[in-house]
Amino acid sequence: MSGLNFINPFGVREDPGSLVGDFYTDNFSKSARPDTVILNLGPQHPSTHGVLRILAELDGEYIIRAEPVLGYLHRMHEKMGEVKTPWQFIPNMGRVDYLHPIAWNWAYVGAVERLAGIEVPKRAEYLRLISCELNRIASHLMWWGAFVMDLGGVTPILYAFEEREKINDILQIVTGSRLTLSYFRFGGVSTDADDRFIKLTKDFVPYLRERLKMYKALVTDNVILRRRLEGIGPMGVDLCQRYGATGPILRAAGLASDTRKDVPYGVYKSFDFPIPSGPTNDCMGRYLVRLAEVESSLTLVEEAIRDLPDGPIKIDKAPKANYKLPAGETYFAVEGARGQVGVHLVSDGGVRPYRIKLRAPGFSNLSLFAEAAQGTLLADAIAILGSLDLVIPDGDRYGSAWGGRGTLDWPLGGASQK
Amino acid sequence: MTSIESLESRFREGGALVVSRHDFKRDGLVISAAIPDSSLTKLARGLRDDGYTLLDVSVLEAKEGFLVTYHFDDFNEPGRVALRVLAEKEDPAVPSLCSIFEGAQWHERESSDFYGVVFFGNTNPIPLILPDDFSGPPPLRKDDQDLAALSSLGLFGKPQILDPSWEALVNPPQAEDKA
Repeated sequence: MSGLNFINPFGVREDPGSLVGDFYTDNFSKSARPDTVILNLGPQHPSTHGVLRILAELDGEYIIRAEPVLGYLHRMHEKMGEVKTPWQFIPNMGRVDYLHPIAWNWAYVGAVERLAGIEVPKRAEYLRLISCELNRIASHLMWWGAFVMDLGGVTPILYAFEEREKINDILQIVTGSRLTLSYFRFGGVSTDADDRFIKLTKDFVPYLRERLKMYKALVTDNVILRRRLEGIGPMGVDLCQRYGATGPILRAAGLASDTRKDVPYGVYKSFDFPIPSGPTNDCMGRYLVRLAEVESSLTLVEEAIRDLPDGPIKIDKAPKANYKLPAGETYFAVEGARGQVGVHLVSDGGVRPYRIKLRAPGFSNLSLFAEAAQGTLLADAIAILGSLDLVIPDGDRYGSAWGGRGTLDWPLGGASQK
Repeated sequence: MTSIESLESRFREGGALVVSRHDFKRDGLVISAAIPDSSLTKLARGLRDDGYTLLDVSVLEAKEGFLVTYHFDDFNEPGRVALRVLAEKEDPAVPSLCSIFEGAQWHERESSDFYGVVFFGNTNPIPLILPDDFSGPPPLRKDDQDLAALSSLGLFGKPQILDPSWEALVNPPQAEDKA
């Protein structure tokens, strides 16, 4: 044996001169202890919901260190933003975070409108709010189903999909699509709501409220679920601040911080809606915050559809294909299902923006995983990862930060649970 | 939110080159400051101690070099703040904020990937988004003929220029002629 260069199949470098795995594994294992195992999760592992890869150094079942590796779903939206006109770039915004595309629609269109000084008609503002909140509910339901599936409960995702289909049916009426929605236009929205949209939306609110009671009885109160989540992965405000984590993670940490309330945009100012926060900063807390947010969004939808004003849905002189943005810089942020979505836009006065920077909440939220997973059991790390609600194209955003958690990933995840 | 006045005086004391107040409704910023790279870590630490978080790191390539913009916000009382550091055109490099905001590591690695800006002191300076064997120029860099001057991009709100060498970077030349 002495002549052979033995390579441990688990990826531990026994001979410092040998190269195990690829560049990232090699770099990661440089600082590994000699008695640990390097485990590579992903990029096609089902619990990573898409193409996220995580390198973990394990001592038995405990994680000594973990490091996410990104880039498998990177699509260079920022470059596309510089070579397309603002008008042409709107469809990209449905593809960053495919679970809450309306939030990205809003962030980009809002940034252009802010720079151009465009005011949006009242009815369009209401339709924006309704579609954004319905989409947020769909995103949270999808997260809920996939998260419980990560923990071993396969059934709930089927329920989540049933509700999500209903929302897709509603949004399809106005947006024309079911996944990569591109509903917003500069100065308004693309399509007016018809009677069917209004009726389906009005029916959906009490329907989902009833179903949420069932979710609580079936899943939230389930003792197995609670034992998997309670006390696992605490994330305090300090951690969120150091990593720039926002959204339900920050709110579960106890801070009722929400862009819709703090820096109101659209017509959010006219509505009184609760911002759920706490009660605990562990996985269970993040679970409860998201379910409470579904109820909060239902309230918003109910009130907005009741008060939906008449009028135009787009300004008369809406920017067209060859519209020139005024020179200047702006930053516009909205609250997406995963946290603060930001668009930093710089224009030199030309037909195409000079620079677009997309701030994806999943990117920052995922960056804290390495610290949060340190010292936990591998199985708990999966729960922590799930509780971050990643959508990989959002994280990669360029793909969006974990934009990863999407319908397209779901069949893979389901198959793995067999 | 720390009051704008106290932020402004702190930026001035911290050696700012240009301090600008902004109309939030248009620029999405409350205040911004162009600072020398030697002041960056000190001012960022001050913002962290006041409860600010680092939202993102956005690089802007211009004729004069790479303007690295750090966006900060306060969770409790939002009001976005930007710090800007101009890195030179050849071999751009600025200090890393990893030791102050751990989340900066990824933002900086991403900026290194796309613009080739080096963040010295980054705790894990390997590619984040691009593959490790990527070759070719950083993909978000522009061709020379497409570069705009900083003064034409309207970045500075209502500027107070504290360092005369920034006069030409902030004000477009025509405006000076008219004056």
